Amino acid sequence: MATTTPQESDVVIVGGGPAGLALACALASAPAIQDSLRVVLVEAADLNKVRNWNEGPSTFSNRVSSITNASQSFLGEIGAWAHVDEGRTCPIEEMQVWDGVSDARVTFSMQDDHASILSAEPETQLARLTENLNLQRGLLRYLDKNGTVELADKVKVQSIVREEREGGGWPLVHLSDGRVLRARLLVGADGFNSPVRAYSGIQSYGWAYETSAIVATLVHNPRTSFQAPNTVAYQRFLPTGPIAFLPLSPTASSMVWSTKPHLAKALLSSDPAVLTAMINAAFRLPEVSLRYLHQRILDSASGGKPLSPEQLHEEIAWRERSHHIDSRSAYSLAADTGGVPPEDADSLPPLVTSMQPGTAASFPLKLSHADEYIGDGAGARTVLVGDAAHTIHPLAGQGLNMGIGDVESLFRCIHKSVLNGGDVGSRTALLPYARERYFENHKILAACDKLHKLYASTAEPVVWARSVGLEVLNELDSVKAAIMLNAGSRRSRKSLSGTQLGVNFGADAVETIARNLSGVSTLTKGVAGMVGDGLQKVL
Amino acid sequence: MNPVRIEFIRQKMSEMRREDGLDDVNPTRPLDGLDVLDVGCGGGLLCETLARLGGRTLGIDASSSNIAIASLHASADPGLSSPQKTKGSLTYEHTSVEDLLAQRGSKSFDVVCSMEVIEHVDNPATFLTNCATLVKPGGHLFLSTIARTPLSYALTIFAAEQVLRLVTPGTHTHSKYINPDELTDFFLRLDSDAPAQDAVPKQSAAPRPWISRLYGGVPSRTEAEIRGIIYLPWKGEWMLVPRGAPGASIWAEACNYMFWVRRPFK
Repeated sequence: MATTTPQESDVVIVGGGPAGLALACALASAPAIQDSLRVVLVEAADLNKVRNWNEGPSTFSNRVSSITNASQSFLGEIGAWAHVDEGRTCPIEEMQVWDGVSDARVTFSMQDDHASILSAEPETQLARLTENLNLQRGLLRYLDKNGTVELADKVKVQSIVREEREGGGWPLVHLSDGRVLRARLLVGADGFNSPVRAYSGIQSYGWAYETSAIVATLVHNPRTSFQAPNTVAYQRFLPTGPIAFLPLSPTASSMVWSTKPHLAKALLSSDPAVLTAMINAAFRLPEVSLRYLHQRILDSASGGKPLSPEQLHEEIAWRERSHHIDSRSAYSLAADTGGVPPEDADSLPPLVTSMQPGTAASFPLKLSHADEYIGDGAGARTVLVGDAAHTIHPLAGQGLNMGIGDVESLFRCIHKSVLNGGDVGSRTALLPYARERYFENHKILAACDKLHKLYASTAEPVVWARSVGLEVLNELDSVKAAIMLNAGSRRSRKSLSGTQLGVNFGADAVETIARNLSGVSTLTKGVAGMVGDGLQKVL
Repeated sequence: MNPVRIEFIRQKMSEMRREDGLDDVNPTRPLDGLDVLDVGCGGGLLCETLARLGGRTLGIDASSSNIAIASLHASADPGLSSPQKTKGSLTYEHTSVEDLLAQRGSKSFDVVCSMEVIEHVDNPATFLTNCATLVKPGGHLFLSTIARTPLSYALTIFAAEQVLRLVTPGTHTHSKYINPDELTDFFLRLDSDAPAQDAVPKQSAAPRPWISRLYGGVPSRTEAEIRGIIYLPWKGEWMLVPRGAPGASIWAEACNYMFWVRRPFK
């Protein structure tokens, strides 16, 4: 191996996921960086699969993400968003979140009064739901068009070693095609089991949640003309974990259902019609009945006699009667979806009729956060972004946005360093990135973690306190506005050139006030504030 | 502190190149094609940056170990060590300003920098004259140093050396610090064709001095400029005080500051 002459590269990005591709796009978008840095992106998988990904107009991939307005505006700024097929994305204009035990509810909407506090320009969406593949394909198309980044796909990183040199060597990345890249800056965008993080010697802490997320693409009838269009996201916090309904098109939506691993396994192995009915029930039935149904599913799975859809429907109908749920109410699974909808139809997602075949899957959830984002000493000239730096519970849909936030910040650092003739791999150049992102990410990680734990409880006083908090929060427009700000519903106005300084200043002032408001509420409202602080991330 | 120094050098060089009617200056390479000298280069932090910005850079230092460290560090960077590239180049030499002047002659460099050096030399007037003599007509001299004020004593000697021990005690001598108006004063009296030997040239009928006159105590921005550098503890970084900040001479230039002066063309 020592015989191969290393190829000099300025930025080596390991990982062609959304974060790695977005960073490559950002670097390709700046003329100053194009002129002076050689950027290589290494990806083990075949990027042609992403490049040629083509799904029919009515079917959707099961991995979707909500892209906040802040993330979207950054991708727009660098010119990459234009390559994302916007017809396959869906705006979220309203969000309803409620407690699975007490039914306390909070609603976020851009149509409400509190939204006007956010900005003078009208913003109609809270976020935009996008298939991950659609986003990745868009980023790749941008890179293919602006060909300054070398894409090395179907190439694995075999090892990363430190060059032997007096005074500190640079990382040498040995690739499976025999090449060796000598990296001025090695970017780890290589996910949870990051080889770059291992090389850099950065420790990471965290824990598994003993929870799995079931994802699936759901098929349902369109909303009637008496109702708002299918642009409302719903999330119900059950003691086993939250279940979220994320609209993709008038007749298709995505689901993320966090629940206990053994339950997820039983649900996925049962008849698709059973899973469909369970999804509908999970949004509608009281918690006590859900617990009973979960047990039925588990028992039948372990007994080797799977529950049939008919049995389950009968069971659910019986439960509804005993809870006095009117069969014409939106809370009944038997409700007719045609004609004039029942009064309470807007507080629930539409009834799911089936699942898109092959989309149901599950993955385990965990929290992790690297101790540092920048390698030092023997691991110098490394930096972590995205899932390599942090993994998060998906209840707030912030994982991808945190990654894009990292990319935006790191890109600005690199750009500034290039303009100032700095060494982009030096700690000095990267330090502002860590300073800007570490606490920000930590806040989101912590809030989602606490939220998960808070809602896992069924103890009476806890349920009471969190419910009162949620109801109070729902009445406080300014606090809701602050939460929406923090959740990235406002486009970022940081411009590269720093023109419009006055506008920036004004916007920052508003943001600061809003942040403080949210901070004050956290302190004074105890549990209410805690719920709120976490809920800000529910986008 | 390096990014702030570079920010000032970049700003000033771009501004003066525009002033000279050169509109097509590459923003990432404001020093393209210029001969640049860094006096007292230390570990070469500034030199590497100057070379990346396009300058044909020479770093000199009176300490041979500094030169060794700087050369070693630069050799790891292909952007600085490989000779075929179109960017600026970087060389180091273990020498002093006097020897360099004797070796190269006057008017050899477009840009001469000397960061945090002048407050350590025994005869600043000679040092300044030597640095100034090396500058080509129309060339630039950048200095950064510390003003001799109670504030600078409190921060750089009392706090940094005696209390926090960030700097080895005894590194600085307060009486050697130089105030901005002393530098301005020096260049008000320095003729553009001053002989290198005469520390304080007399005002004869010779060509005009580097700074022709002051306007309300401040030189014209095309001749010289002083900008304070302050540390922002809440951000953990240094900041270049914006030009024309109110009362900057009292609060911003009372400790660390940058000084730029341009040698007249004739």
